[in-house]
Parts: sequence; structure tokens; C-alpha cells
Amino acid sequence: MRVKWLLGILAVLLGLAYAQRTITIQAWTIGPDDPSITRFTNLQEAAERLNADLAKEGADFRVKVEGFFDTTDWDPYLRRVLLAFQSNQAPDIVQASAALSATWAAAGFIAPLDEYIPKYAQFEDVIPTLWDSVRFQGQIWGIPQDTEARPLYFNKTLLKQLGWSDAEIASLPERITNGEFTWDDVLKTAQEALEKGVIEPGKGYYHRPKNGPDFIQWYRSFGGRAFDPETGKLVFTKEAALRYFRWLKEAVDSGVLERDRLDGNWDRFHQNITDGKVLFFSGGTWNWAEWDQQWVADKGGQEWLFENFGFAPHPSYKKGGKPITLSNPQAYMVSANSPNKEIVVRLLAYTTVPELDGKHAVGSGHLPILKTTPETLDDRFTREVSYLLNFTTFQPAHADLSKWQDSFFRGVSAVESGDLSPEEAVEVVAAEMQRLLRDQVIIE
Amino acid sequence: MRRYASPLLFLLPATVLITLFFLIPVVATILLSMTDISTITFRDPSWVGLQNYRDLLQDPFMDKILLNTARYVGFTLLFNVGMGLVLALLSSLVPERYGDPFRALWLLPRIIPPVVYVFVWQGLMREAPYGLLSDLTGVSRNWISAEPWNVIVLANGLVGASFGMLIFTSAIRSIPTDLFYAAAVDGATTWQTVRRVVLPLLRWPILFVTAYQTLSLLTSFEYILLLTDGGPGFYTTTVWSLHAYKLALSNYFGNVEFGLGAAMAAVLVVIGVVVSLLYLRLFNFRTLVTEPKVEVN
Repeated sequence: MRVKWLLGILAVLLGLAYAQRTITIQAWTIGPDDPSITRFTNLQEAAERLNADLAKEGADFRVKVEGFFDTTDWDPYLRRVLLAFQSNQAPDIVQASAALSATWAAAGFIAPLDEYIPKYAQFEDVIPTLWDSVRFQGQIWGIPQDTEARPLYFNKTLLKQLGWSDAEIASLPERITNGEFTWDDVLKTAQEALEKGVIEPGKGYYHRPKNGPDFIQWYRSFGGRAFDPETGKLVFTKEAALRYFRWLKEAVDSGVLERDRLDGNWDRFHQNITDGKVLFFSGGTWNWAEWDQQWVADKGGQEWLFENFGFAPHPSYKKGGKPITLSNPQAYMVSANSPNKEIVVRLLAYTTVPELDGKHAVGSGHLPILKTTPETLDDRFTREVSYLLNFTTFQPAHADLSKWQDSFFRGVSAVESGDLSPEEAVEVVAAEMQRLLRDQVIIE
Repeated sequence: MRRYASPLLFLLPATVLITLFFLIPVVATILLSMTDISTITFRDPSWVGLQNYRDLLQDPFMDKILLNTARYVGFTLLFNVGMGLVLALLSSLVPERYGDPFRALWLLPRIIPPVVYVFVWQGLMREAPYGLLSDLTGVSRNWISAEPWNVIVLANGLVGASFGMLIFTSAIRSIPTDLFYAAAVDGATTWQTVRRVVLPLLRWPILFVTAYQTLSLLTSFEYILLLTDGGPGFYTTTVWSLHAYKLALSNYFGNVEFGLGAAMAAVLVVIGVVVSLLYLRLFNFRTLVTEPKVEVN
């Protein structure tokens, strides 16, 4: 009897030893635009593929991806992530802007991934410059998830009403690219459209309604420098900021730009654009997918967009100057406290394949991160917009970048609302950066 | 010592609660405000003494934010205390079967979740053809952006008015009917009764509602956050508590500064205490808490 009991216990123990474990990987992701849901679902699909391979290898565990895709806003999402980091309850994977990797690395929240990356061939296919967006103090802190460009869009129908010929409209991206059409020309064209009644006041040019990475792009397009690679410090070029602020003031004063453009209301941004009321507008490639799926689906979707909208890089402020766009790549970062870093990075490798990369790019209006993905796609927007990456720039990898950006944004909003003159705003921004960033900023 | 035992015992629960939920948070806030704690330095903050307060003093826009706060608290207070009083008086002057449902209607904004309430406002205030006001007036504009202060005061005031209305109604009902009869016998008009009988007896409830609403408005910002996010434009409707919230907890780029935000919160605590003392002085608190004079046996 006793032997039977012993054998029974032994069998149970052996069974337990060989039982399959499930490693649950927590992943928090965000759009906030709805079409970017593949940032989460791609992880789940990758887990299925990984599990199939684990089965072939005879591994005693499987992975399961849990978590969420956030469609609210960056503020609450980042707050949630931060509180999770602080209470040591962070998920294994956090997807966010690659620029945040510097801040979170400096804070000790995320893990460097250099030792894991060489193990997976998939990562060799990543466009090399994208690794720079997640490099901080010589180490890599994230796996690029997607990228994008931020074009200057224009409404072709309104340009036509203004008297532009089809050939003129078609050549606009090229004229911007070769430095022939500048920010001043954007302003003049919008002023003319206003005078001729083609557009309503304030709808000559739209930029995003709230703070964001784009302002650094426009500042750069006016000749500004944001980072000094030699010293690793942030830079504020007063002359360039003054040029940009003066442009904004003239745009507001002449009725091209709404005085209350910075009202935080994205619906108002999208609505007026997709109602065909706005002549020039700065956005991101992902906006295209949003407009297609959420705003103009009943008008004809992509076809309507191609008929009515065109896109180009952002122009230079001077004739012959270089155009620009900004990429704010998203990245998957791995929590420093994750007990499963090895398998998490393997899962990320399974996510970093052309099929899933392409699925996300086409579905969400982002651009692929893999060199081979474009060969696998047959999507007109991806094909036509990808050339903008030739003009792209990234945000500087500096842990205190957000302070620079917040200060600069204060200047922009003060000028647009008429509270400060461009000259005063430049001085205020410079003083604030000096006060907040101390020796970490060069004012030139 | 024994004579203090019972009072101390009775005071204990309140003392524990005040210590836990008021004193400790205030001390923690002040301590935090003396550090440079932020996203980056969270694991290793440094003691910076009064640096955060110096930073606040050097910030050229703190004046504007303080003025905004005074404007928001002042106008909303005027609206919701005044409106509460008017509603209470009006609904008390009519028979209860009309007055009660009328008051119940005014509770609607309070029981609707803030996000839904703001959605309703956005629906009313958007450009034509999406916004009701634009449709009705024929002037298509985003009224929230065009008239941010009026919208904020109205939206907050309409929620706040119901609080004053309830307190004032119950105070009016507690006034002995003899006084009204006496006034009627003396030939007083409705306005004279309100002016000479009701309002003087509402001094204590008015003080309470004003003080309570002031403190609550000083720290409340949710409707501003949802309606205008402190804009449009440059700090147009940013109030002190919203700015502290943004600095300490909510930043587009994720780099929040708890230390600086705590310094702002500490300043708010001081403002709250000063304002409370001012009210007590202004309304002559000592007289108000003496034996009530309205009870007629």
C-alpha cells in the first residue's frame, strides 16, 4: 500500500516537472490613433509563431501576451507607465516614443538590450539609422517598432480654386524639395487664398493643436539647432527661433493661422481638414490612415484623399535651403525589472518581421522599419510617401529633452496668442531653458 | 490628567484621520518640494532646499497663472453662490410640489460624470453644423475656444450652484414660520421679507458655502482640463492647480517634476489657509458660532 502511495506521488511530481509552463508577458501599448492597434496585436501574433517554434524545439514553456492598446492620449498613458515603473509593477514591454528611451534609461526604468540583440537575425533587417533613435550613452534601450514622416500636406482642390494648374500642383513637392518653395511662399499662397475667398480666415495653415515633437521640426526648418553632438548638450538657436516666431506672428496677424490654434482639440483639427477647408496642414503619415478610416471613409477613403490632398517635406525658410521632416519612431522597451528579458527580446524578434511590419505600416499609415518590408508591400501611400525618409531627422537623445520642448512650446503659444512679441518670446524661452536646463543647454 | 481622558478619547478618531489625511500629506508635500524628484531622479532624488520655490518665483508666468486662478475662483464663486441663492429663494417661494422637482433638475449637472458633462458642452459649443449654439445663432465658431472663460465659469458654476441651492434651501426651511407671519403682518413685500428676514439669517450658510466652494475651486481643475486643457493658446485658462498637476503628473513627453509640482501644491495649501482665515474674519466667525438666535420655542 505504501509503495503504491509513493509511486502515485512520484508520478504527480514527474508530471508537474514536465508540465508546460506559461510565461505571461505583459505589454502596454498605445496609438493613441485607433489604426495603430497592430502595435499590440502584432505582439500576440508573434507569440503564436514563437509558440509554434517552441513546440518544435520541445521547450517546456509557452508564452502568452497580455496587456492593452491605449487609444486615449499620451498624458494618461505615460502617467500610468511612470507610476508602474515607480512601484516596480511595470509590464515587461512598454511601447512609447523612442526619444523617451533616454529619459527612462537615465531613470533606471528600462534595460539595455545590447547583449540580446545580436542573437536574433531579424534585427539585422532593421533600417540602421533607427537604432540611433534608441541609442543613449552608447547603449541600445529599445527595439524599433515603427517610424513615420511628418509631411506638409496641401489641399489640391483649394490650390486649383486659387488658380494653380495641375502641373503646378503636381510639382509642389519637388519645388519644396529643391528649395524653391519656402515657408514664406506657404504664407504668401495662404494669404492670397484668403484674399480671394478660397479659404475662411484662420484656415490657411494648420499645425497640431497641442504640444508635441513637431515643434522641433519646424524650428529646425527655420535653421535651428537642437543638439550639439560634441558636448552632448541641447542647443537653442535664438536667431532661428526668432525667424519661426516672426513667421507665426505674421501668419496669425494676416489671418492665415488661427490665434487659438493651440486649443488641444484634435477633432477640430481633423474635422476642418477633412471637410476640405484647410489649405496647408502639418501632420504625420499616420493621420492619413486616420482620415481614411475615420473621417473620409464615406467620401471614398484613400481615393478621395489622393484626389484632394498632396504631401511634401516641410520647406526651408530660405530659397535653396534643405527641406525637412521628423520621425518620432516608436519602440518596444523592456522593463529593467522584467524577469523574462531573454524570452521577451525573442518575442520582439518574432515581431520584427516583414509580414507584421508591413501589416502595421499599411494599416496605420506608418512607415516600415525593415529594409525588406517595402518589397513585400503593394500600397500606394506607403510607396509614394516613403521618400520623405530621405529628409528625416530625429529628436535628440537627451534625458532632459522634454524641458527644452516645453520651454519652446511656451514661446510658440505665447506668440500665437499675442501675449508676447517674437523678440520677447525668444528671450523668455532662452531664459527658461537656461533656468531649467542649466549647464545642459547651449544658447547661441 | 483624568479629566482630559474622555475628551481625548473622543477626539482620537478625528485626530487620527486629520493626521493621516491632512498633516502627513502636507508634511510629505513640503518635504517633496525641497527635492529635485522627477522622472529621471525618481530613484535617487537630491535635497535642493528652497530651489523649487526660487524657480517658481523666477518663472515670469506665475503672475499670469495666479491671476487666472483668482479670476476662475472669483467669478465661479460669484456665479455658483449667487445662483445657488437665487435658486433656493425662487424654489422656496413656490409650493413644494413645484419647488422640489425644479431643484432636482439642477442636480443633473452634478450627477453626470465630468467627462460626459464636458461632451455635452462640446456638443453645444462646436462649429456649425455640429454645435447647437452655432446653429441657433448663425455664427459658426467654436465657442469654447472663442469664449473660454465664460464657458469655464458657466460649466463649473452650473455644477456648483446645486450645492449652495441645497444648503440654502434647508436653511430657509429652518427659519421659523412665525418670522414670515410677523413680516406679513407688518406689510412687508416679498423682496423686503427676503432682504430683511431671510438673508440676514443665511449669513452662516453663505459663509460655509463660500468658504467651502473657494477651497474646492482652488484645487479643482477637472472641467478646465477637459474643456480647454488650460488654453487655448498661452496659459489662457491655466490655473494654479492645473499647472501643478501638469508639472507633477501629466506631461506630454513623460518627464514629470514631482518636486516642482509639490512646491506649487504647498503654495496652494498656504493660499487655502490664508483665504479660510480671511473668511472667518470677514464673516465674524465668533459671533456666528454663538447660541443661535433664530430658534423660537
